[in-house]
Amino acid sequence: MENILAMILAGGRVNQLDVLTENRPKSALPFGGLYRVIDFPLSNLMYSGIRRIGIPSQYRPFSLMNHIGDGSAWDMSGRNSSLHILPPFKGHRPSDWYQGSADAIFQNMDYIKNMRPEKVLILSGDHIYNMDYTRLVKFHNEADAEVTVAFKEVPFDQATRFGLGEIQAGKREGGRLLSYAEKPDYPTGTNASLTIYLFNFETLLSIYEEFANGRTFDFGKDLIPEILDRYRTYGYKFDGYWGYTNSIVEYYRTNMSLLQRDSELAPDKWQVKTNLRNRNLADREPAIIGKQARIKNSLIYNGCKIYGSVENSILFPGSYVGPDSQVRDSIIMFDSRVQEKARINQAIVDADVRVETGASIGSQDSTSFFETEDIHEDGIVLVGQRTVVPAFSAIAPGKKVQPNLLNGSFAMHNYEIKEFIG
Amino acid sequence: MNKTAGLLLAGGVGSRLGVLASLRTKPAVPFGGIYRIIDFALSNAANSGIDHLGILTQYKPLSLMDHIGVGKDWGYGSRLRSLKILPPRTGEKDSDWYKGTADAVRQNMEYVTQNPDCDTLVILSGDHIYQMDYREIVAFHKARGAKLTLATREVAIEDAHHFGIAKVNSENKIVEWAEKPRKPKSTLASMGIYVFSIDFIKEAFREIKGTDFGMDIIPWACELGHAYAFPFSGYWRDVGTLKSYWSANIDLLDANSGLHLEDWKIYTNSRDDTRLGDRPPSFVGRDCEVKNSVVSQGCEINGCIENSIISPGVTVQHGASIKNSIIMDACTIGADAQLDRVILDKNVTIGDGVSIGEGTDDVLNREYPDFLESGISIVGKGSHVPGKCRIGKHCIIKPFTPTSSFQSNTIEGGETVGAVPHEYST
Repeated sequence: MENILAMILAGGRVNQLDVLTENRPKSALPFGGLYRVIDFPLSNLMYSGIRRIGIPSQYRPFSLMNHIGDGSAWDMSGRNSSLHILPPFKGHRPSDWYQGSADAIFQNMDYIKNMRPEKVLILSGDHIYNMDYTRLVKFHNEADAEVTVAFKEVPFDQATRFGLGEIQAGKREGGRLLSYAEKPDYPTGTNASLTIYLFNFETLLSIYEEFANGRTFDFGKDLIPEILDRYRTYGYKFDGYWGYTNSIVEYYRTNMSLLQRDSELAPDKWQVKTNLRNRNLADREPAIIGKQARIKNSLIYNGCKIYGSVENSILFPGSYVGPDSQVRDSIIMFDSRVQEKARINQAIVDADVRVETGASIGSQDSTSFFETEDIHEDGIVLVGQRTVVPAFSAIAPGKKVQPNLLNGSFAMHNYEIKEFIG
Repeated sequence: MNKTAGLLLAGGVGSRLGVLASLRTKPAVPFGGIYRIIDFALSNAANSGIDHLGILTQYKPLSLMDHIGVGKDWGYGSRLRSLKILPPRTGEKDSDWYKGTADAVRQNMEYVTQNPDCDTLVILSGDHIYQMDYREIVAFHKARGAKLTLATREVAIEDAHHFGIAKVNSENKIVEWAEKPRKPKSTLASMGIYVFSIDFIKEAFREIKGTDFGMDIIPWACELGHAYAFPFSGYWRDVGTLKSYWSANIDLLDANSGLHLEDWKIYTNSRDDTRLGDRPPSFVGRDCEVKNSVVSQGCEINGCIENSIISPGVTVQHGASIKNSIIMDACTIGADAQLDRVILDKNVTIGDGVSIGEGTDDVLNREYPDFLESGISIVGKGSHVPGKCRIGKHCIIKPFTPTSSFQSNTIEGGETVGAVPHEYST
């Protein structure tokens, strides 16, 4: 692979994801029973032979830094590789927090210059996909482009949610980018931007020199419309799987599609790598399934201990499901415990949570998502990291339970507590 | 423990483990889904603060060396904690293969004495399933003023003839020693774990020409009155036979067995060199029953599993049933196959509708009557069992047996299939 530096924009918190991004940027969000969202672009880079990566990150980056470690999980440590996490730093302006995607790149221009790349590939760290970036680079080179933006066809009724590009027709893999509009009210096309940008280094440098002191902060909203007439800007069409995790419902659906074994989403086939040293995943013993356990249509991993009933659910490493308990249509993240006789339905339970004996989360008699494929945000319960859900409490569908609540603080947050029946 | 050097004997042939150990040394035999037998001694050493560990290899060491690497998974391979593999090497003579346990240690005394601060040597065996904090036996050794201390435990009288057997006085000093005695006088058995004062082992090598600890060195030390027995009472299994290997695996399913890998902090090398990516979570399908079992990552389960150990990357197709079995990495079990009391080594393919382990267990294996008991059948690494084949109890399918080697659809109890030449000799 030629001399490419990849920059992964991994910093953001996504408000729609609520308590799940309370303690971590979205790129560090657990996904699919083992992974973090950023594992997908990192694995893509590894398989594409791009071995130098910078990750501007600002929102509570600890979880992300912990996960990425020295990058060796993705072969990014070693003689010809490098991986750097780039926090914001104080400079000339009173506040130098990253103000959007382009600003995060511009503030790190010194780093980019230092790495002396020929091209800079800019990715966002929050999508679930499998992409061979070498094909994008080949397209870029063959078109003699200065800037290439990747797009994917989306249904017309959803187009208004995306940055939309008009691409010169004629070639299957893409063509000149004729126009671009960020989330237009009245879409004219269906090519949605994947927020993947490839720049020639000189082009990026000259854009930086022109715009960095102006008011331009986002690639999609501000920069691309501005430059597409002045630089040879192309649109590359990607037609593989693209998984969104931008809202609770999208995150839930994308996870659950892993249980549909014919889904295009196939981390196994893609051979996605994660950091098994984070949370000592490598040291977990294989899952232990008890005599009374019942498991159907679910994902489990080493470190799970299952003595109750698990159906249509994704259990991350270290999940404990106690005797006579029931987990349905739910996602249980790392090292969370569901104590005996507790019942959980249509919930996303973050890491290190304890659901105490007999607690009930979500509605216990709703129709399964797997029958109707219908899900709304007000049907999904979120339980924030490290919270203890008290014994015999009941949490109604759609509730968002804050992280770090202990038994005592729980009542003050107005979660309905059933009468104590123990 | 910075005055203690460690040597781990990992050269064992494991001849009674049959096809499991015909391609690899006994310490490298897979265990409990994701582990290998040596992980126990390695993790114990790491958890006991033995910071410099030499590993003596000899018999088919490749899978072992691959597995251990530089020891990173056990916290070795850093500036302060090192692990070194010590294979036999040529010296003054053309071939200096290790002639026995003591000979192996004798040939590596240079490694042991390279740190002049060390006054104690712990010799471990890589062949057993157990958790032990070696700091306790070293403290015992020093408190008694012993020059040699053996870890010992009580065994059943009928098993005693497999072991070195000690008789001790009230201070745990060994007053009588017999290596694998026909008529054991006690049931206190050596676990193959020795603590030596380094000056004393040097003296032993000067005085004694013999090559085996049990036969030569220990009797001499006992005669001098310098040998003590440290009593160990925790979980410990020799797993030297297929029966004991199978039972120890099945102990993982019994919460009261005393075998608790995560609590013990048993580590393994989880890298999978056959894949670039990490194995994903295991999928359990809609029409499955999985009960009382251990399931590793990367499996695709669409059948029924009971009382079994499932290693990474196993596929179980619809209607298949696996009971009381140990299934190693990347095996595929075809639709409607029925397996009971079967050990499948890695990369075995079982065709649709195959049945293994039916019928009576009154016939022992004809070719290797000592290997299999309790109705267990075993399929060697990389073999392919053709669809609809019915295989009885106490059967052996040798490694890399292709479907074409199955002459008939029925393999009677006690039969052996496969012509790949390899050593079983005991």
